[in-house]
Amino acid sequence: MNDHFRASDADRDRVAAVLRGHCAAGDLTPEELDARLTATLSARTLAELGRVLADLAAPGLALPPPGRGLPPAGRLERRYRRLMFLYPAWYRRVHEEEMLAVLMTAAPAGTDRAGVADAADLLWGAMRVRLQPQRRDGQPAWRDALAALSVILPVIMLVIFAKQEITRSLAYSPMGLHGSDFPLWPLRQIAAPAALAALVLLRLRVAAIMAAAVVFLFVLLTGESYLIYATANAGVLVPLGLEIVALAASPGPRRGRQVVTWKHGALAVTGALAASIVGYPAMLIVVAVAAAAMALASSLGRWLLVLLTIAAWPAIMFAAFGPFMGTASFLPYGPAVVSQVYLLPAVLLALFAVAALSESRRPALLSLAARRARS
Amino acid sequence: MTEVSLREPTFLILTALAAGPQHGYGIMTDVAEISAGRVRMRAGTLYAALNRLATENLVEPDREEIVDARFRRYYRLTPQGAQRLEAEVARMRSNTAVAARRLGLLGGTA
Repeated sequence: MNDHFRASDADRDRVAAVLRGHCAAGDLTPEELDARLTATLSARTLAELGRVLADLAAPGLALPPPGRGLPPAGRLERRYRRLMFLYPAWYRRVHEEEMLAVLMTAAPAGTDRAGVADAADLLWGAMRVRLQPQRRDGQPAWRDALAALSVILPVIMLVIFAKQEITRSLAYSPMGLHGSDFPLWPLRQIAAPAALAALVLLRLRVAAIMAAAVVFLFVLLTGESYLIYATANAGVLVPLGLEIVALAASPGPRRGRQVVTWKHGALAVTGALAASIVGYPAMLIVVAVAAAAMALASSLGRWLLVLLTIAAWPAIMFAAFGPFMGTASFLPYGPAVVSQVYLLPAVLLALFAVAALSESRRPALLSLAARRARS
Repeated sequence: MTEVSLREPTFLILTALAAGPQHGYGIMTDVAEISAGRVRMRAGTLYAALNRLATENLVEPDREEIVDARFRRYYRLTPQGAQRLEAEVARMRSNTAVAARRLGLLGGTA
């Protein structure tokens, strides 16, 4: 039975909504409603919340599931609630009800539409909240971003490598599909990224660092000395190097798996696939939209965006110069290009480190939501 | 340690809370009163400012109530918030004193 589980704020909100509905329907007087709402606020367990609804709810109905049981709120209130979706979920959990109270009190009586000024003000407020560098759990955002990257990057690399191998096999299909070693040579190409992705998803940090270091050295040392290969190998070496840094300097894939849900991971993978499949102009739009969404989501999104840009730098450069990495004959090569492809990511990473260190030196700024979560 | 001076809306919120704990709508009306109608804050700006002030530990939540079936959270000034407001008042006072004196010397054109 769930009776002794602690009631969450979401549970209390739902019960409050049901109570207001009953008052609107005439089952409760306003005084009774106030009394029950106060009891709801101080209820600690689900059992206590159930007692608040005891003589109102249908027998056998413990708590209304989210989404149902909401009373028919006034049209103005519904419009304001829709506008509140501009804010991040963690902010809404703490502030939505009190902001709604202020909005409804301040709205001129008898209006049905949210004023343009109010809507613009809410948008402005949401932007300011999203752009403030706040630590949600007391961890600096850049460490969480590195941890998230350590989990996402191998998966993205695996997907892109697999996609390239499939297209290459299909392009050479007469020989490839019927060749004697067809199942083997594509698998060999993606074996390394697949192993790394598996280690990271299994949260084996040290094993992942070792595996990444082995692949890194292998590519570095067995590549021929022609500059052309140095340029082409950058597509593997830069992300791998960044992955090693992320695994070493961050709390590790354990934390990364906490931060990055399957939802985020699926989005990142589809974004990477989409960007590598569609043609050149559309790719820019996909990337720009994804970047804007990440930048506006949270400060963690912004740090992660910077890290992904560093990892993708060789791909960006090659997209600017040639069709895609691998068609070596189209690539311009020379010391200048090689140094740009390796030097610029290194410089960006150094800037990232400087920014991260200065962010760490600031006193731990906990938002109201984080403090509430802790208490 | 010199800190950046407070912007007017922030200053007014801290001033409103200096009288005692208030809830969001109370702060809004108080700010409009203090500034004689010049500064009118809306919910979005007000709560973004309150959130930032809470992050900087200048205000904190005081209590929660239900009034008229609506949720109300009261905020109060922290000791650091009171100190910050005092420092700001001292700064503005010294600046305005110098300015008034100089304008007075020039024959008072204000």
